[in-house]
Amino acid sequence: MNQMTNPNADHCTPMLRVAGLSHRVPLETDTLTILQGVNLEINRGESVAIVGRSGSGKTTLLGLLAGLDTPSEGTVELDGAMISQLSEDKRAELRASRVGFVFQSFQLLPALSALENVMLPLELAGMDNPDKRARELLERVGLGERLNHTPRQLSGGEQQRVAIARAFACEPAVLFADEPTGNLDNRTGQAVSDLLMALNREQGTTLVMVTHDEHLAARCARQLHIEAGQLSEPTAEESVS
Amino acid sequence: MAASQKLHSVRRDWRERDVRVVLAALMIAVATVATIALFASQLQRTLVSSASTFLAADRQLDVENGRPIPDSWLEEAHSRGLRTGQMVEFSTMVFGGDQFQLVSVKAVSDEYPLRGDLEIQTREAGPRETVRSGPPPGEVWINPRLLRLLGLTPGDTLEVGNEKLTVSALLVREPDGGFSMSALAPRVMMHKDDVAATGVIQTGSRVEYVYLFAGDTDALESFGAWLKPRLEPSHEWRSVRDGETLSRSLQRAERFLLLGGSLAVLLAAVAVAVASRQYAMSQRDTVALLKTLGLSGPGIARLYLRRLAIWGIVGIIGGLAIALPLFWVLAGMLGNLLDRPVELYFDPNAVFPALATAVVSLFAFAYPPIRRLRDVPAMRVLRSQPTGERRELWRDGLIAVAAIFGLVWLYARELDLVVALLGGLVLLLLALGLVGGALIAGLRRIRGGGNAWRLALVGLYRHRGASLSQMAVFGMTIMLATTLLLVRTSLLDDWQAQLPEKAPNHFLINIAPDAKNDVADFWRERGHPLENLYPMVRGRLTELNGVPVKEAVGSDRNIGALNRELNLTWMATLPDDNKIVKGQWFAPDTVSGVSVEARLADRLGLKLGDRLTFTVGSETVTEPVTSFRTVQWDSMKPNFYMAFPPGGGLEGLPATWITSFYLPPDQKTELNTFTRQFPTISVLEIDHIIARIQDIIRQVTLAIETILGMILAAALVVMAAVVSATLRDRQREGALLRTLGGRQSLLVRSTMLEFGVLGGFAGIVGVLAAEAAVYALQYRMFEGSFSWHWSVIVPVPLASALLVSLFGRWQLGPVLSVSPMLLLRRLE
Repeated sequence: MNQMTNPNADHCTPMLRVAGLSHRVPLETDTLTILQGVNLEINRGESVAIVGRSGSGKTTLLGLLAGLDTPSEGTVELDGAMISQLSEDKRAELRASRVGFVFQSFQLLPALSALENVMLPLELAGMDNPDKRARELLERVGLGERLNHTPRQLSGGEQQRVAIARAFACEPAVLFADEPTGNLDNRTGQAVSDLLMALNREQGTTLVMVTHDEHLAARCARQLHIEAGQLSEPTAEESVS
Repeated sequence: MAASQKLHSVRRDWRERDVRVVLAALMIAVATVATIALFASQLQRTLVSSASTFLAADRQLDVENGRPIPDSWLEEAHSRGLRTGQMVEFSTMVFGGDQFQLVSVKAVSDEYPLRGDLEIQTREAGPRETVRSGPPPGEVWINPRLLRLLGLTPGDTLEVGNEKLTVSALLVREPDGGFSMSALAPRVMMHKDDVAATGVIQTGSRVEYVYLFAGDTDALESFGAWLKPRLEPSHEWRSVRDGETLSRSLQRAERFLLLGGSLAVLLAAVAVAVASRQYAMSQRDTVALLKTLGLSGPGIARLYLRRLAIWGIVGIIGGLAIALPLFWVLAGMLGNLLDRPVELYFDPNAVFPALATAVVSLFAFAYPPIRRLRDVPAMRVLRSQPTGERRELWRDGLIAVAAIFGLVWLYARELDLVVALLGGLVLLLLALGLVGGALIAGLRRIRGGGNAWRLALVGLYRHRGASLSQMAVFGMTIMLATTLLLVRTSLLDDWQAQLPEKAPNHFLINIAPDAKNDVADFWRERGHPLENLYPMVRGRLTELNGVPVKEAVGSDRNIGALNRELNLTWMATLPDDNKIVKGQWFAPDTVSGVSVEARLADRLGLKLGDRLTFTVGSETVTEPVTSFRTVQWDSMKPNFYMAFPPGGGLEGLPATWITSFYLPPDQKTELNTFTRQFPTISVLEIDHIIARIQDIIRQVTLAIETILGMILAAALVVMAAVVSATLRDRQREGALLRTLGGRQSLLVRSTMLEFGVLGGFAGIVGVLAAEAAVYALQYRMFEGSFSWHWSVIVPVPLASALLVSLFGRWQLGPVLSVSPMLLLRRLE
């Protein structure tokens, strides 16, 4: 199933290694620097929260880490593959086999049922019995009764649970989550984050989460702060305080 | 079903509004083009079969060299399933009632006529009978005038050469009599088997063999193709299309159908392009997500290509499912109109343009915006980003223009048509780009007016990109529909003018000079004054600039007019329906010169000043050519190849007079009185021919009206597609405005005003572009004259403003009926 197996990848190498990462976008008159000289390593099985205010560059960083975009400078190595140097199609292959996503706005395909939304990545990755696996996952997230409902027929919290089931469907090596509770009320957000954390633990997935919610961030093993495109990691004391 | 398969399942697609619009546009494209093509093909066949009675067959092979064709040719025709018949035509003296008379004999085989029927009377002034075959051997049917000239009664004997034949009926009408006045000698119809016994035909006799063929169109075409290389110069293979009378009407009708079909193709292409662009826009988030989930660019391309292919198949099947019943209904209407069942003819070839339209529309108009989906960045799932699609728009535009050219060319094969339509479209787009852009920019500065006006104008400015492209599509649609409307009106008017209700339906021929006034008095007393009486002299064109004419023209060219006597006339004024194309009409007091019919002049290669010599009896007349003129052969009025000035070359030669006039059906009995009073005058009744031509014009009119209706329907769909393209944004805005406290009436008024301005402006530009296209088309294709069409210049922009504002109102529907909050949530 895994066509992108990197022979160099072993449990000693970090899941993500970022070196000298910068990202700039040209504007009409000058250039806007969004990220500047980011260096970062994330180990396998680690859960990391990237916290920052709106416009600090956290979503851009997430996109670059996940290979959704390519940096202006620097390198991103994911599970041993230098994704910042891969073509868009190679990056897509890598995502199909090793990366899962949870988005703030759920990003479910409106025309597909909950079951079909979860089956989609399994089929794209060419896995056997996608139907069975998708059912199991939906039952795991508590939606066993809502398999055939379309996103429109589900509440926000339910939609995000479908999205979480989809994200874990292919047992990704790394899961990227972008403000996963940003569109949910406190209580639902809490339930969704519980689920996310639980599945993450169960599957031993590396979790990289972008959020401005300090409580959610605190549930991750590491918290990184981003401000004006620069990443910093507070010391253990700082993060406790 | 697997989720990824379901991603391109038609059922799922059908749930998406934009896909529904693409599929509807495709189906309408296929349905319109297929219906038009099928109906055109059916109509052509019905028209030709209606008109075939003019030939008494579907095709004729005329042989003027006096030698019958080899039997093997007829065997070949039979082997292809064709029916055949034969006629032999010659002139001879007949003897009856102690008198001689020169007659024109038509000897027919048992099969005559293969199409149409004959009318006879078994006694003078007796009832008319319709029969489907000619006289049996041993009998003759003769023209009533001959009966009177010879003083015979039915049952008497007529001697034709060595053979005595019984006059068993009077021949009132023959299907292929036409209204050529060349056969002025009275008609005698006999059986072909009696010809040999008469001994009239000798080697070197002037005799014409005519072979009749009828059957399946394909068989006729293939036989014609087989025959062509074997024909000699004196052979002429004729279909009814070659006839003077109908060919022009038929050709124009066919061109109209082509024009209609081409417009359908253009409208369909526009609809497909608009809908697919909208669809592609709506798919960007899905594509970004699929990419995030690991689908590669080629995978995306494959997914959407497969989808396009499925749409194509669904569009074609759906379109044909609409087209076939519609065609069936139209063919039924045609049958009702003609008062006889119409044989349904499903021409498989007619479906190809529809298939080509579907495939080309999909790949030239729908694919480019969808192909660009490949380039949607995966990052879009996190943040929407601009895509660099501008560069490719030019290329896509070029592909679209080439595809439109190709499609219209494929459909119409008329370069003039393609150039006129596309030229009109380009002008329109330029005008819209320049003037529309300026107008919208200017709107920003307009102050004053009520809230609704301000909101409307601000709306137009704010959506200027969408407004301009909507204006372009509305303008194009209006231009195409108006073009068709204008051409249709001018065609129908032309036909109406050509055959007005009281078109002359009887000819009087052979009026002696001294009877001229009495004849005029006779009809004036009965309320039918004769408008034009023309003198007629029978003469043969023998020399051109002193050289025998056949030698001068070249013996390889078989020109019918050289093989027979022509009707020559003199006239002081040019008839209304003749037009001088070269040279000058005779000035008053001119006594020399001859005016020649333009097409004959062309075939003879004549130049102004050439000297023509005519032989009239024992006399010869030589005159220089002073003008060429066009003649409306189908005007149902006396027409002449050669016209001389009064007192000119024909002065003093023996002339008879000819005229045509309208006689209502209920007064036909007056003809009996007339023929008794003037026994030597021939009455040529052409009322049945006129009725048939009017019949044909009715069919063509139905076709034209139907096609216009279909095009207008297609135009409405295109406009609806375009309006619905911005549905979502407009509804969101409307909901926001309501949330912010905008009253429903304000929203309705401002939206309707905004769309009204847009529609009105598109209407003005569309109508002007249509005038430009019609100007080009009229000159090049329909031979009509151009004038401004005030009947559309004002109403069309007004109607367009109203219609588009109603579309705008319709788009607003849910905004008014659903709570703004619910709507905003639904539109998220």
